[in-house]
Amino acid sequence: MALDRSVSRRRLLQLMGGATVAATAAGTLAACGGGNAGSSSGGTLKVIGAGSQEAGLRKALDDYKKANSGFDFNLSFSPADQLQTSLRAQLAAGNAPDLHAVYPGNGSAMSMVQLSKANLLADLSSQSWTQKIPTGFKGAFQNDGKTLIFSPGTSVLGAIYNKKAFATAGVEVPTTWSELLSVCDKLKKKGIVPIALGAQTPWVTQLIDYALVPGTVYAKTPDFDDKMTAGTASFVESGWADAMDKYLELQKKGFFNDNPNGTTYEQATSMVGTGKAAMAVQVSAVLQAFREAAPTPDDLGMFPFPATDVAADNWIPGGVVVGIAVSAKSKKAEQAKKFIEYCGRPETVNAWAEAVACVPLYSEGDAKVDPVLKPFLPYLKDNKAVPFMDQRWPNAEVQPTHFAVVQELLGGRTTVPAALKKMDEAYRKNA
Amino acid sequence: MTITAQAVRRDAVRAPRRRGGIAPPWLFAVPALAVYALVVLYPALSGAGSAFTDWSGVGEQRSFVGLDNFQQLFHDDQALGALRNTLLLTVAIVVIQNGIGLLLALGVHTNIKSRMTLRVIFFAPVVVSPVMVSFLWKYVYNPAPDAGLNAVLGAIGLGGLRQDWLGNPSLAIWSVAFTVIWQCAGYSMVIFLAGLEGVPAELHESAMVDGAGTVARFRHITWPLLAPALTINLMLSTVGGLTLFTQIIAMTNGGPGYATDTLSTVLYKQAFVYGKFGYSTAVALVLAIFVAAVSFIQIGYLRSRETAA
Repeated sequence: MALDRSVSRRRLLQLMGGATVAATAAGTLAACGGGNAGSSSGGTLKVIGAGSQEAGLRKALDDYKKANSGFDFNLSFSPADQLQTSLRAQLAAGNAPDLHAVYPGNGSAMSMVQLSKANLLADLSSQSWTQKIPTGFKGAFQNDGKTLIFSPGTSVLGAIYNKKAFATAGVEVPTTWSELLSVCDKLKKKGIVPIALGAQTPWVTQLIDYALVPGTVYAKTPDFDDKMTAGTASFVESGWADAMDKYLELQKKGFFNDNPNGTTYEQATSMVGTGKAAMAVQVSAVLQAFREAAPTPDDLGMFPFPATDVAADNWIPGGVVVGIAVSAKSKKAEQAKKFIEYCGRPETVNAWAEAVACVPLYSEGDAKVDPVLKPFLPYLKDNKAVPFMDQRWPNAEVQPTHFAVVQELLGGRTTVPAALKKMDEAYRKNA
Repeated sequence: MTITAQAVRRDAVRAPRRRGGIAPPWLFAVPALAVYALVVLYPALSGAGSAFTDWSGVGEQRSFVGLDNFQQLFHDDQALGALRNTLLLTVAIVVIQNGIGLLLALGVHTNIKSRMTLRVIFFAPVVVSPVMVSFLWKYVYNPAPDAGLNAVLGAIGLGGLRQDWLGNPSLAIWSVAFTVIWQCAGYSMVIFLAGLEGVPAELHESAMVDGAGTVARFRHITWPLLAPALTINLMLSTVGGLTLFTQIIAMTNGGPGYATDTLSTVLYKQAFVYGKFGYSTAVALVLAIFVAAVSFIQIGYLRSRETAA
């Protein structure tokens, strides 16, 4: 781990100490401090992005470099789990890259709110693009009135489906919960796995709940998050119980692949791509991976996953995608901020959003949106989109607790009330 | 026979004393001790201070919380479940890995023609990165009926034994244990083999002349003289089991649910996923003390057993 000269020996040794104690027990944590980003040199910006944003961020950096001859960058990417380890270790050591990935809102150890509490993010509020952030999304970008991250737009969550599998079973895209069950039943009778679920990959476990909760919770109680914050609502006494019951209903009816807890995200992706399974509940940001698994990209479509039998109540989850921020300790903060300002131009927002299949944060005129996302646009327009639930959770413990209890539910090790009680307990712990 | 083996053992124990007389100056050890103190002891002790704070792992904000983290640890269901898993895994690994290692060592310590090749084959998994081994076994444990181990079971007519090896909460921990044993049994074998090479052949020859059979010779000659190798193997596998981390993170990430979490994965998650570096360090500290205590007790007992042998 390359350390910046500004790290004092005492600080370095303290950090090594924590790692040493941990390594004494864990044996292998040394690997966690790795990452492939070297230290910055000269006028080169050191950038670490999220793997899911690679296409968009790389294009923005390349375009900016072409327009600014003195600009150069050292870019690397980390998958989601390594952002929690290698990048966080660099932040802890005071060796943060100049620009780095940050999750919007709260709810994760690498989220905007958690990092801003530690004063690790530079204030971007003076930049003109920040005035264009839609009101409903401000909580994802701002803390204490300061805008601290840039993100190109919103990713939606729904069912990515294989059109050929649907055609084989002679079924259409469902718009209500009952229709969904009927479609799954017909697919199953044709020998096609209705829904591929790779629940061994922890973050996949949450997606079906996230797809159902906008309909079972937020359509009836739009201020549910505020009530949770105030302590007047709980997971266990809310529509979360209905969502989890429906999750288990899909399992009990045999609509998932066998052994979802032993199946990975990659295996589930392959099942849908090849038509062995008909659909998977996923975020639009991973569409590219599904397209790569399919014979032709046009085989795949996407539709809002219905949660209720009242079409008007079927809201969708649409969250701001992982963004980038300027390190408050960067010696090249001004240079990094200029790049962020460039990212905030509508044409850059559009190009980045198009590259990662998300809906642009804002646009001038018609935005270019991946055609498979069109079924979701009316929901966004009608304010029937709810940010991904974790972005309003107060600490980094609720989300992994959610992952674990879903695996326990699928494994028959717990009940819905007990699972939600655990999530409530995690929620009530201090941030 | 026992008397002969004990005599050999006593010779071995006395041998270093005869070489004594001039104690090596401690001054020689000072450079190494200084480096050790600087890069291991001081950072470990100063880092351990975090266990008494609520530090998130980033930023400067931290408050002294006294023993709160330790009190929380002993009321934390996840940590207590992880402790149970850690002990289960350790017992399974120590017993089975060393049992298989001993059998392999005895098997290749014979005159069979292919013994050198077999030694290489049995040791080969040890030199592969644990992460690679974990991903390899994750493939083998694919739950689909037409993939990995399940496909093999189906092909040989044992389709009824197909399992969700890593997805079944009751089975996952044993699947991980099997992988660790598969990789590390060769290591135990090599240590036992070194011990077997040190058993004087004439003891076996004279025992055979006295009419001792294979079992009697193993019980009264080989087993007592393998005591030092057993000590090393038990020590290493116990510490390895208590600190097991890589294979679990790579294969199950502690899941399904918390079914395969160990103390090592809990402390990792607390630090890097939950952002509770202070609490994580408290878990690490307790684990380090626990491992040290178990190791001292174990080595004390095994050393006394060596002397008795």
